Amino acid sequence: MQGDFYSYTITASKAILVLLSVAILIRCLRSMLREKYDLETWAYIRYGKERLPVQHWEVIIGRAPDSDVCIPEREVARTHAVLRRDDLGTWRINDVFSRGGVWVNNIFVDDDGAEVKDGDTLNLNGICVRFTDLSMEKRERLESKRSGVGRRYSPALTLLMLTVFQLFLLLQHSFYADPEYLPDIALAFGSLIVMEWSCFNAMRIINRSGFEIETLAFYLCSLGMSVAASSTPEDLYKQILLTLAGLVLFLLCGWWQRSLHRTASARILVALSALLLLGINVVASDVVLGARNWLEFWGFSFQPSELVKVAYVYVGAATLDRLFRRNNLYVFIAFSAICVMALALIGDFGTALVFFVCFLVISFMRSGSIATIMLAVTGAGLAGFLAVSARPYIAQRFASWGHVWEDIYDKGFQQTRAMSAAAAGGLFGKGAGNGWLKNIFAANTDLVFGVVCEEQGLLIACLMVAAVILLACFAVRSARTGRSAYYGIAACAAMSILLTQVALNVFGSMDILPFTGVTFPFVSRGGSSLLSCWMMMAFLKSADNRREASFAVRPGEKIRSIGDREAIREEREERKAQKKQEKKRRKGAAK
Amino acid sequence: MKKLNRRAFSVLLIAFFITVGLFVYVQRFLEDGESWASYFSRLNSLSEGTVTDRNGVLLASFTANDNHYNEDRATRIANYHVTGDFWNRTGTGILTNFSRQLHGYNPVTGMTQTKRISLKLNVDSVLDNKAYAALAERKGAVGIVNYKTGELICMVSSPAIDPVESDPVVPEGAYINRLLSASFTPGSIFKLVTAAAAIECVPTIWQRSFFCEGEAEIAGVLFHCPFEHYTNDFRGALANSCNIAFAQIAISVGQTEMVNHVRSYGFLDSHSLDGIPTAAGSYPLDFVGDPETAWSGIGQSTDLICPYSMLRYVAAIANDGILVEPKLIDDGKPSEQSLLVNPETAKTMQELMRNNVIQTYGDNRFPGLEVCGKTGTAEVGDGTDHAWFTGFLKDPDHPYAFIVFVESGGGGLSVATPIANTVLQAAMRRGTDMEY
Repeated sequence: MQGDFYSYTITASKAILVLLSVAILIRCLRSMLREKYDLETWAYIRYGKERLPVQHWEVIIGRAPDSDVCIPEREVARTHAVLRRDDLGTWRINDVFSRGGVWVNNIFVDDDGAEVKDGDTLNLNGICVRFTDLSMEKRERLESKRSGVGRRYSPALTLLMLTVFQLFLLLQHSFYADPEYLPDIALAFGSLIVMEWSCFNAMRIINRSGFEIETLAFYLCSLGMSVAASSTPEDLYKQILLTLAGLVLFLLCGWWQRSLHRTASARILVALSALLLLGINVVASDVVLGARNWLEFWGFSFQPSELVKVAYVYVGAATLDRLFRRNNLYVFIAFSAICVMALALIGDFGTALVFFVCFLVISFMRSGSIATIMLAVTGAGLAGFLAVSARPYIAQRFASWGHVWEDIYDKGFQQTRAMSAAAAGGLFGKGAGNGWLKNIFAANTDLVFGVVCEEQGLLIACLMVAAVILLACFAVRSARTGRSAYYGIAACAAMSILLTQVALNVFGSMDILPFTGVTFPFVSRGGSSLLSCWMMMAFLKSADNRREASFAVRPGEKIRSIGDREAIREEREERKAQKKQEKKRRKGAAK
Repeated sequence: MKKLNRRAFSVLLIAFFITVGLFVYVQRFLEDGESWASYFSRLNSLSEGTVTDRNGVLLASFTANDNHYNEDRATRIANYHVTGDFWNRTGTGILTNFSRQLHGYNPVTGMTQTKRISLKLNVDSVLDNKAYAALAERKGAVGIVNYKTGELICMVSSPAIDPVESDPVVPEGAYINRLLSASFTPGSIFKLVTAAAAIECVPTIWQRSFFCEGEAEIAGVLFHCPFEHYTNDFRGALANSCNIAFAQIAISVGQTEMVNHVRSYGFLDSHSLDGIPTAAGSYPLDFVGDPETAWSGIGQSTDLICPYSMLRYVAAIANDGILVEPKLIDDGKPSEQSLLVNPETAKTMQELMRNNVIQTYGDNRFPGLEVCGKTGTAEVGDGTDHAWFTGFLKDPDHPYAFIVFVESGGGGLSVATPIANTVLQAAMRRGTDMEY
């Protein structure tokens, strides 16, 4: 009977894990993508009788329908000017492609731009509009009308599901793990639970209700913890510490990015330190498997390129006014080229490819030019060809790609074992800790998809990929609503890095792409990778502009502003107009 | 910011590629997962299994830690296409096709179900050894089926490899099971089909006589026979395998009826031997005119026949038209039965095939056996001939239908019949105390 009970428990736990995963993902999906997004309103532009809202800190004024403030007059250029606001509430206007020029209160605006105050008249090549800033009270009122997050899909319930998910993983480990390590494994999952709930409560205290990004990140972390528990239970404390460090870095980065000014001004510094890191990496590092991408510190192996990824996103994103200045893009291209070349020198071509995809995404988002992208792809194709012909071990990987079953003892060694183990797991897996793939070299990093397939099954492995895709969808959705283009570009760039890593990791180990040895975000064991993934999440957090959702975004109503008096007057006018309208309606109804 | 919104979708392009890739992966997983899993995961699972022949001789076994085959090298090689190997190098072996049963694998549970499984086959490994030895490294196949019960007691394809070797010297075509997985030009054994069609479609067939001077122009094309057969009736024409007579008979039957018969006898279909798919044959289906009809009626033209489907056909003739579907695995269940050949036609064909042996091949080739059969020497076009011999024993105690095929082996009578005799003699001694 005991045997029966045991096998029933195992079978039930497998099914429950899948159901919980589906539930967690669906709840996050609905909350992130299905709920309504209201834009913030920061100022108005009065043009004739129309009152056009300024809904971001950076807006394009122009004739084109995709301008944020669209003034459909011939004199106005398609993309005429950029109006932007800084943290202190000062508005500035920059001429972009106006042809005719921009004047503020009849003073010509030169390349440096000009400050715009409440009530100022903007002359766009002869078309005059008036700029109206909002008072605090007014904005508070508008903010309170915006729909918040977490009303329909309580984040606490989702997190509770995740906790149950983690407990069931722990249950499975308790069946299969070496009893010697069981306390460590329990401690690992316990600390994950403590971390996620403390983070959640901290957010509650500061009145933030968006927790989907953290939930998904912790979901992936739990799978990563499970892989670590079954592959290297003796080193589990490292994983716990690194998750904690990742979480702290996530909070720090998120907090840092609350101020756009602070964020933007540190870009040069970040770029320089990234180059320094890469420089150290090129000069002094250990060669592991043909790639010199490891540095050793006090027992922690450290991969500088992981941190450089974060820096790359940080440097690559830009505010809207900078998008239209070519030099900025050139500087970024030079920075990218140095990064990719350094990685090629190190021999880490997987990461170089990840950087390149991110470069494509950033440069497309900045320039919008497909021709540029094509040029970059062609150039990279040539460079890649050179790399393949110059480095024999890369050529070898390409040669064995698609033929791994023909050489199961050498070139196809890792992939064939990963595929075999993945197939053996079926849809529901063998149970956490019950696999054999974990004993193969690099199983918990490069072959981690195989390990998850084997132990948790194909369904959870696919859901794990879906979780990353879901985060990417959220980044795309946030790009439109963010205050600054900087946050939108950074979020999308960060997700492009994580997605590319997913693609290379999953398809590399399953012989659909050449095997490159890239980590799976959050799930692969690897300290620096985990840290960088958490930092990437900070970019997502600072793009999340829903009302009172993200700790990385300052609440709209609390941001001070100039010209409050003007706004109060405006409010009165609005109220009068409303009353008039109501009267009219009543009259109409009476008749 | 609106501009940014549209550009942001470029990120989803990567997500789209991932989704497509995942679909590709899931499809491969469903298709090949079983064979992936059978590589390394079986060794790491708890499943145990054995494959034995009908007499309990071990062909292959596996435990959690190891794979085993039969101890004897000759037995391993002769039974290679029955057993298959643990690396799935050949497509037809039991280990390949029944890995699901043997390993307890299925896509939903993977290899989490641990079972102890054993499969008993109908094949007699000793008979396979005899047949493989008789083929003597030539490319070819031998199949013997009990036409009363459907037990496939011999299935050999030559050449084969020793499955124990992980990196063997592979003779050309060693991974192809020539009995099941390929189709060849049938030559004269195809006259068994033309004859059956003639019996049913040409009422005057028994009254007709055919004159052969060694060559004749039929429908404007020159046909040859190896000898002058002079005047023959239908029975004699089959016994002498007269091409000139059968070219005319095929024209009399007509292409439409020929196609109907070829199709209804199952020569154009892929069959399933306990789930192992067999090769389909081919026959000119579009209108080709009399000369091609004549050529295809004597088993040349574009005719291609899988040896296994010919074995089914003669087994049905031997069993008065009723086909007992051959079975490779002894699962204790009776075989399915179906009417393949009209019973009257089948009985007539039995008599004609018996006459072939008496009149032409000679019973002294098969001492102690009452063989009914038909030889075939198929011109391949590269100057070589495929040697064929197919038929059955008219013996209620030993109801065996057989087919022997030697690729580019030479004459059917000189090459294939001795092999058939060796194997059938051994089969006769089966179940007795005599060594066979």
